Amino acid sequence: MPTLTMIGAINAALSEEMSRDERVVLFGEDVAKRGGVFLATEGLQQKFGPDRVLDSPLSEAAIIGAAVGMAAHGLRPVAEVQFADYVFPGIDQLFSQAAKLRYRSGGQFTAPMVVRMPTGGGVKGGHHHSQSPEAHFAHTGGLKVVVVSTPYDTKGLLKSAIRDDDPVIFMEPKRLYRAVKEDVPGDDYLIPIGKAAVRREGRDITLVSYGGSMVETLKAAEEMAVAGINPEVIDLRSVMPWDKEAVLNSVAKTGRLLMISEAPHTASIASEVAATVSEELFDQLYAPAIRVTGFDIPYPYAQDKLYMPTVTRILNTAKRVLDY
Amino acid sequence: MISEIKDKTEFQAFTPEPIRVLSDEGEWVAPFELDLDEATLKRFYAEMVAARMLDEKFIILIRTGKTSFIAPHAGHEAAHVAIANAVQKGHDWLFPYYRDGGLWLAMGTPPSEIFGQMLGNAADPAKGRQMPSHPGSKPLNIFTACSAIASHIPPAAGAAISMKLRNTGQVVVCSFGDGATSEGDWHAGVNFAAVQGAPAVFVCENNRYAISVELTHQTASHTVADKAHSYGIPGYRVDGMDVLASYYVLKDVVERARAVHGTALVELEVYRYGPHSSADDDSRYRPKAEVEAAKQRDPIIRLRKFLERQGWWNETAETELRAGIAHDLNTALEQAEAAGEAPAEWMFEDVLSSRPWHLEEQRRLVLEELR
Ligand SMILES: Cc1ncc(C[n+]2csc(CCOP(=O)(O)OP(=O)(O)O)c2C)c(N)n1
Repeated sequence: MPTLTMIGAINAALSEEMSRDERVVLFGEDVAKRGGVFLATEGLQQKFGPDRVLDSPLSEAAIIGAAVGMAAHGLRPVAEVQFADYVFPGIDQLFSQAAKLRYRSGGQFTAPMVVRMPTGGGVKGGHHHSQSPEAHFAHTGGLKVVVVSTPYDTKGLLKSAIRDDDPVIFMEPKRLYRAVKEDVPGDDYLIPIGKAAVRREGRDITLVSYGGSMVETLKAAEEMAVAGINPEVIDLRSVMPWDKEAVLNSVAKTGRLLMISEAPHTASIASEVAATVSEELFDQLYAPAIRVTGFDIPYPYAQDKLYMPTVTRILNTAKRVLDY
Repeated sequence: MISEIKDKTEFQAFTPEPIRVLSDEGEWVAPFELDLDEATLKRFYAEMVAARMLDEKFIILIRTGKTSFIAPHAGHEAAHVAIANAVQKGHDWLFPYYRDGGLWLAMGTPPSEIFGQMLGNAADPAKGRQMPSHPGSKPLNIFTACSAIASHIPPAAGAAISMKLRNTGQVVVCSFGDGATSEGDWHAGVNFAAVQGAPAVFVCENNRYAISVELTHQTASHTVADKAHSYGIPGYRVDGMDVLASYYVLKDVVERARAVHGTALVELEVYRYGPHSSADDDSRYRPKAEVEAAKQRDPIIRLRKFLERQGWWNETAETELRAGIAHDLNTALEQAEAAGEAPAEWMFEDVLSSRPWHLEEQRRLVLEELR
């Protein structure tokens, strides 16, 4: 079984899907000749030719909008936005066109497309190479949103996204691109969109996270375990739709929820999960559902590491939940 | 229409070949006489050398791990020095982009501030907020750079419209790369400025690449200047590695924009010698020979040859100039490094004009954690 980084898993998923289905095409800024700025699409133009793997002009509106038209016409486009922070010039195409096409046409036209984008902080990238805009997407009816955290999941979820009949925003935490390697089967497997994964079983407190913050969440869980606390850790993997059943089952068992995400605090996925748990499990909670998140400020360059939930911040907050 | 006004130098819009004043060998090839004095030309030269040496310093900063990102500007020096000398410093407004290192310096940004921004530390007037190569300066009317390509074009148009409405006699000069011309914001901004007759000069530093994407994959237009046709404004195609051609055209266009409230597009044909950024490997998409060929048009060597021909420059002057700049840059870097880290609490300042309860809570959380 090959061991792959997240980048390797993306490349493998794209390559396999392009071989399987000739309707799959790739494009975006620098994806073809250079193989992407992170090399996620390296070698694919050589393999599948310049018609199926192309460099687009520098316009996210053109990239996302063209994907809508291609998808409506019968292709299965996988568009790359170079950084999640640069999706904004293309947001009108994403929100007005991609998200609403099925609905506004009464199901006559659809946009089965994937928009891949590196997301999240921790790489000293400042305002525009660090943001986590998933809540914007989740807040817009008509999109599915995936945020991966492991190479294995990346391959299975990207393949599902490409085969999905809806527009899927596929977010890849860039600080995890080459952080770990793991066994990724060379054969065809799918991970369903909307299903969470239990990363660690426990009974004292449920830690729910996704994407880049899974790293600090798992580290914090290990430290808790050393201190004699037994946390359960859930990786949402998809944030729209998110796996309510998995989260409620876990919190029903532990009675405590700590929701961790590096995205800004207000109107976040973390807020959504915490509110849902409070609504549905109020009488089974030993403590309020609490969020550890990024801040409601532009992502700063100088305090790059401090912006994201640190292990210390997670542990301090967990203590509040446990001591409640 | 400003394109209809003829000036002494008779620069035409939409020329089939780039406008040039100096040949690659530094010979005068313009159809008009030199009217700049020795001191001015030496200043242009010194500013270009300083721009190059600043770029070399940036490369050292990245190699020694003192900064995390640079956008090399070697090859763009003539464009930077020409823009800085074509505007009224401190009066006109600039809207530059990340590859304008030489421009900030030539505009008079203190090098210690530039280095502070590169280090993201307490010496940065912008408090370490942005990634390196993104400075700005309120006192110098240099709009703080934004990474999002072409996002500064509509604001540049807006500032120019304000200058017209308020009749301030100012001009906006807004620079960007060739890739930027593909963004919707670029077209939206240029069109709004043009239709308002706003005093804005849009300057494309066309180095033929947007990271790896070559110009022929960026646009089907023959030149960037041609795009001006669509907005009813003049477009000038200039050899941007010829500091005199760039200066003469820009000076002329800026003054006419000021005089008649007109908008224009100037394409400066440059070449970036280095990779796109410290995160790039340009050998993946362009041959070394192409880079070497571009260096034959080097703006610094070209002006030096001209100065030498005039009998205004020699090796002694060169050595002295470089020693002086090296000393100034080294001192500025030391000064910037001495300022120390940007304090953690700075991250919660300047979000809004005052700090509401939620930011106060978040700030306290971080400060408690650090205690
Ligand atoms: C909206 C947006 N999309 C993508 C990027 C990523 N990016 C940074 S620089 C760049 C290429 C810019 O090329 P060009 O405008 O020609 O300027 P140059 O870097 O060549 O000077 C790209 C695609 C970005 N910064 N902003």
